[in-house]
Amino acid sequence: MSNDWVESMRENDFTAQATTTNRRIQVSLTGTADLTVKTQLDHFLHEVHTEAQRCLAEEVTVDVRQLEFMNSSCLKSFVWWISTVQEQTGDGKYRIVFVSSPSMYWQRRSLNALACLANEIISVQA
Amino acid sequence: MQESPTLSFGLQIQPQSRMVSIVRRFVEESFEKIVGDPEAVFRVSLAVHELLENAAKYAVGDKTGLSVHFESNGSAASITLTNQTTPEHIERLRACIAEIQASDEPVALYRDMMRRTFGIQEESGLGLARIRAEGELNLSLEIDGCMVTIVASCLPTRRTPA
Repeated sequence: MSNDWVESMRENDFTAQATTTNRRIQVSLTGTADLTVKTQLDHFLHEVHTEAQRCLAEEVTVDVRQLEFMNSSCLKSFVWWISTVQEQTGDGKYRIVFVSSPSMYWQRRSLNALACLANEIISVQA
Repeated sequence: MQESPTLSFGLQIQPQSRMVSIVRRFVEESFEKIVGDPEAVFRVSLAVHELLENAAKYAVGDKTGLSVHFESNGSAASITLTNQTTPEHIERLRACIAEIQASDEPVALYRDMMRRTFGIQEESGLGLARIRAEGELNLSLEIDGCMVTIVASCLPTRRTPA
C-alpha cells in the first residue's frame, strides 16, 4: 500500500487534508468553511482533482463529520468540483463519497442537494 | 392556551467576513439552551449566516443591522437584516428574491441555481435560495433609497386550543 501524496491547508479553524492510497483519495474537512476560506478551498479542491486525474483515482472519500458548517460560497466550490468530474470521460471520471454526521444539521440538506447534481458519481453516507 | 415566549435580540455590526461565523455561533449557542428544536435553531442560524455574508460582500458603509425573533417552541422565527448597498446590487437582489418568491418548488430552484453557478464568479443568489430551500424560510425585500431590508421568516404553526 503506497501513500505518496498529501495536500493540506489550515485557515482560521478550518482544516483540509487529502492523501492518496492505491487510487483512492481520502479527504478530511474540519471546522468552519465560510467566506474567509473560500479562495483556499477552491485551490485545495483543484489540487485534489489534479491528483485524482494523475493517479486515475476510482473514488474520493470526503469526510465532513467534523465540519461544523459550510456556507453557500464554499458549496459553490463543490459545485465546480462535481461539475468538473461529471464532464470527464473514461478513466478521468471518479466517484465522490461524502461521509456525514447526522448531528450536523446542515449536512443532510446541503449534501443531498449536491448529490442531486450528479447522482451517478455522488453518494452520501451517514 | 399557553403562549410560547418570544426570544429576540438586535445587533449593529460592521459587515466583515470574520464576524459572520462569530454571530452565527452566538445565535446557535444562545437559542440552543432555550429552544427545544435544534433543527429549528439551525434553520435560523443558517439564515443569519447567509444574510450576514451577503452584507459582508455587498454592503456599503460600516453599519449593518441584524435582528432575530424566535418563539421558544420553534414555531415561528424572523431574521431581519438592514444595510446600505449599491443600486446595481439592489437590482440583482430584487430579481433574485422575485424569482425565489415566484417559485413553488424552492428545493428544485435551489438545485437549479447551484447548476447555474458552475463557471461563473459573479453574484449568484445561491445563499438566498439556500435560506428558502434548506432553511424553509420565506424571503421579502424592502427598499428605501440605497437602504435594503431583507426579512427571512416562517409563519407560526396553528396552535391547538388547550
